Amino acid sequence: MQRYFLSRIGQSIAIIIGVLFLVFFMVRVTGDPAALMMSRNATQEDVEAFREKMGFNRPIYVQFADFITHAIRGDFGNSLRYRMPAMQLVLERIPATVELASVLARALGLIGQSVPNFWLALILIIIFAVNLQWFPSFGRDDWKSVVLPAVSLALFPMGQFVRLTRATVLDVRSQNYVRTAYSKGLSKRTVYFQHILRNVALSLISIIGIQFGYLLSGSIYIEFIFSWPGIGQMIAESVAGRDFPLIQAIAIFTSVVIVLINLLTDMAYVIIDPRIKYG
Amino acid sequence: MQTTTAINLRYEERRGYIYHINRIIRSLRNDLGGVIGLFLFFSISITAIFAPSIAPYDPLQQNLRDSKLSPAFMEGGTWKHLFGTDKLGRDLFSRIVFGTRVSLLVGFFGVLIAASIGMFFGLIAGYMGGHVDNVIMGLTNLILALPYLLFVVFIASILGRSLLNVILIFGLTDAPLFIRLTRGEVLRLRESVYIHAALSLGAKMPRILFRHILLNLVGALITIATFEMSGMIFYEAGLGFLGLSVPPSVPSWGNMLSQGRDTLTTYPWIATFPGLAIMVTSLAMNLLGDWLRDFFDPHRH
Amino acid sequence: MKQLFITFTLFIIMASMAVGCNNATPESKEPPQDESHEESSVEKPAETEDESPADDAADLDKEKVLRIALTSQLNSFDLPYTLERTLRNVTWAIYDSLVWVDEQGNVVPALAKDWEISEDGITYTFHLRDDITFHNGELFNADSVLLTWQRGLNEEAGNKKSFQLVTDIEKVDDYTVNITTDGPSPLLLDTMSTYWGMVPPKYIAEVGDEEFGRKPIGTGPFMYEEWVTGERIVLMKNPNYFREGYPKLDKVIFRTISESATRVAAIQTGEMDIVTRLSADEADSLRDKDGVEVMKYSIDRVYYITFNNLTSGKGLPTENVNVRLAMNYAVDMDTIIERLFNGHAIPATGFITANNFGHDASIKPYGYDPDKARELLTEAGYPDGFDIGMACPIGAYTSFDDVCQAIQGYLGEVGINADLELMETGKYWDLESKKELPPLFGESWSNSASESLIRLEGLLRADATYSTWTEPTIDDLLDKITMTAKPEDRAELYKELQQYMHDNPPFIYLYVPSTFEAIRNNVKDYTPRAAENYFLYETIVE
Repeated sequence: MQRYFLSRIGQSIAIIIGVLFLVFFMVRVTGDPAALMMSRNATQEDVEAFREKMGFNRPIYVQFADFITHAIRGDFGNSLRYRMPAMQLVLERIPATVELASVLARALGLIGQSVPNFWLALILIIIFAVNLQWFPSFGRDDWKSVVLPAVSLALFPMGQFVRLTRATVLDVRSQNYVRTAYSKGLSKRTVYFQHILRNVALSLISIIGIQFGYLLSGSIYIEFIFSWPGIGQMIAESVAGRDFPLIQAIAIFTSVVIVLINLLTDMAYVIIDPRIKYG
Repeated sequence: MQTTTAINLRYEERRGYIYHINRIIRSLRNDLGGVIGLFLFFSISITAIFAPSIAPYDPLQQNLRDSKLSPAFMEGGTWKHLFGTDKLGRDLFSRIVFGTRVSLLVGFFGVLIAASIGMFFGLIAGYMGGHVDNVIMGLTNLILALPYLLFVVFIASILGRSLLNVILIFGLTDAPLFIRLTRGEVLRLRESVYIHAALSLGAKMPRILFRHILLNLVGALITIATFEMSGMIFYEAGLGFLGLSVPPSVPSWGNMLSQGRDTLTTYPWIATFPGLAIMVTSLAMNLLGDWLRDFFDPHRH
Repeated sequence: MKQLFITFTLFIIMASMAVGCNNATPESKEPPQDESHEESSVEKPAETEDESPADDAADLDKEKVLRIALTSQLNSFDLPYTLERTLRNVTWAIYDSLVWVDEQGNVVPALAKDWEISEDGITYTFHLRDDITFHNGELFNADSVLLTWQRGLNEEAGNKKSFQLVTDIEKVDDYTVNITTDGPSPLLLDTMSTYWGMVPPKYIAEVGDEEFGRKPIGTGPFMYEEWVTGERIVLMKNPNYFREGYPKLDKVIFRTISESATRVAAIQTGEMDIVTRLSADEADSLRDKDGVEVMKYSIDRVYYITFNNLTSGKGLPTENVNVRLAMNYAVDMDTIIERLFNGHAIPATGFITANNFGHDASIKPYGYDPDKARELLTEAGYPDGFDIGMACPIGAYTSFDDVCQAIQGYLGEVGINADLELMETGKYWDLESKKELPPLFGESWSNSASESLIRLEGLLRADATYSTWTEPTIDDLLDKITMTAKPEDRAELYKELQQYMHDNPPFIYLYVPSTFEAIRNNVKDYTPRAAENYFLYETIVE
């Protein structure tokens, strides 16, 4: 099993590098930010000079090699927009995103996936912030300000999560080994905890990794509407502004988190279900 | 010998056909949600198929002078425009009707692509194991770890905005879910008693994969697929919000919802009707999914 | 159905649980940074539920605090690098320049007492005030002017164009500088008042450029207090401001709310005192709300659809002047304005607006005349119209994607089949700067100076980044304008140019919009200008 874990860790590093390369390539193919960074009345020479200075004219593999050599030393470059270290900017946004996500976890089990969340967000603002004045309409100040964004964000993935849990429980409940367990005279409680939930956990663990990715992309709309200073907002802004170093820093951060979650869930898989063998 | 088997098979199939219809009816009798879900789903599908006959106007026909008209049942509305008109004076009812097509196309083909990719690679990964499994799961994680928005912007700017590209985006980004589910199921079934039994009876593994494992998976996959279809209808709305969904020449609910979001208090119907359409469609899909889950549950009846 | 009911009940329970969980541990959260909030969190016990925004406003009232919603995130306090124009309003609260442009458009002294301009109009001699200190106590003098200019010339500085006007600065003594330009430059003082925020040399030497952009020091009415990226910018009163008795406010808080619907909510709830860039519909929805005042003013921004004879439009029907005129007649601008902007815009007649020097009011919009458009198209040899590519940015400007679709519709009515692509803005502006957009594309160009010269040159000079059209006659006129110093003669030349650009339109002229802002009615002396600029030193919160 140790060898398996080691190879999974190696694989994880490969994935992170893969993500980085893809992000690096994709973001540059969609156009560079020279035009966005220079004032409207700049001449073409000025814009070209900016491109030259920033190194956007070099072959993409040279840029990538340059980026990687710096990244290894912990230098992820300066954000083009903010002219500050990109990773520092990303890390500043983490607490807000984590807060939103953790409240979300508590709000588990809401109505379900029937309303587009940005539309819902706007309606929630009109009802609860403007008309009833229970909660603030935007920002991140006290505990009240997290309620509306969390509810809007939670509705979709939690609905899906509840449904999948239900489906999996029903599925497992009808397995032969569960019947066997009952016929052995084990109490309902024991069967549930020892046999059913253990197996349900397996299926659900594999969903969690996927859901995390959703939370990040779903939070783009919600953070935008509620001016919530988290990662989602920063993703939207940096992609729109083609802030290459910032996008790369976000990609590094999120891919490390997602890969870690997947690594942990896969390891949990092996530990929870000893029947699964790995070569 | 050969012919008898064939005849037997056909007999089996026929028996199965009638048997399944009976099962469906029996199962629906106890499940109001399922009935509603099916009913809604069929109504929506019929609306989509016969959209040109149902819609009174060309959904793209602008008439700026008649823009922002109230729905017929509200003050100031006329029966010429049942749901009123949008900011460019296009008939909202006709747009909602045609939008059904877009949503179902996106949902259906998006899921079809995701499920096909997912089942194919999931089966291979689960069955082959080892390095193949590592590579496939590595690529899956790669897709999951890519910033979604960047991927969308990338596709939109390389291939342009089109219905096909939206379907492609959803198909690719949703594939990991199906890969993981299929692979997990294969891993689980590979060790199960009846696969061992089949193996010891001399069946070849690939055959087992397709005859036993895949058939076993169909129920679960169809169920997930309905949930994912409703999910994609949302994602389309989300892309509309970012202005990255289908081009404006295609009447999609996401584009409509996004157009009406700054008039939620002044001309609420512009965003409300597409919002409701999305809600109803997704409710239908979810009820359908719940019922399908129960229906395919092999041990429940 | 039962299931739905259960989930709904569950929702209620869970929601109250989520609220409860949070309520139990309010102390564990870091207290908000601004003092007004700290006070209230000390006073109020954790259980108090009814902290309504009204109470909040009462708290803020003791200390005069103004809360302003920005529409995008500030990227830097460093003026050569600030990206969006509205963000410069934040920096103007911190810095002063040598001169200032007052509300009537007169250039008045600020950190310079007075100045002389040489006969040839090339050298400006500024006499600086000797009683000005920066927020950190550093003395303002000629070194500051020199450094401000040098920093603006950095290749990475997006606004370097505004510093390149000057070719040399000579320090005569500590409080006198000679500024040399590359030619007579009627816009120099205007430009300086916008971009040349004076910076403290010692502080910058100490902390470096990067840190300066984050924690700025200036001489302006407000001093930097904190900037939590993505959350808030807090500025406090500069007690030693050179305009005596100002500023009137103790504190200004800027927060970014990108979604306009949320800005509408925040002004209604009283969470914000000033919100900007609302759509006409949103402004209408706020008109009857208590405590809210809606402001409307015309901004100097012209919207247009390009024609192209530089790149993608070469050899296309739009090179024919009759086709271009036809397309201007084909679009019903009045109806677009009436229906999409609720009447709050005026049709553009060219790139010199009513606010600009040299505006010719006798030039009228073409008006909607599809028959004439068809006639002109037939005359040009395209009786059945033609196909052409078109693009517009999405989400960049209020209602602009609707406008573009409407134009597509109107062009279709006279047989011109425009294949409209609505593009994500990052891609759009990249392609625009590379001149790779389709022959017709939609844009706008604003202007903060009293003259429209920068806009005209940016749009019509072949070597400008965003130009798509060039014509010798226009080039000649622009050359003459640049070289003419006498105002009357310049005005005549501008009029000649307008007439030519009306008879030979290089664009489909669209509209000059109004912008809508909403303020709480206790905000007084807030006077935004035509370029959405505002200066807060006079503003009061009652």
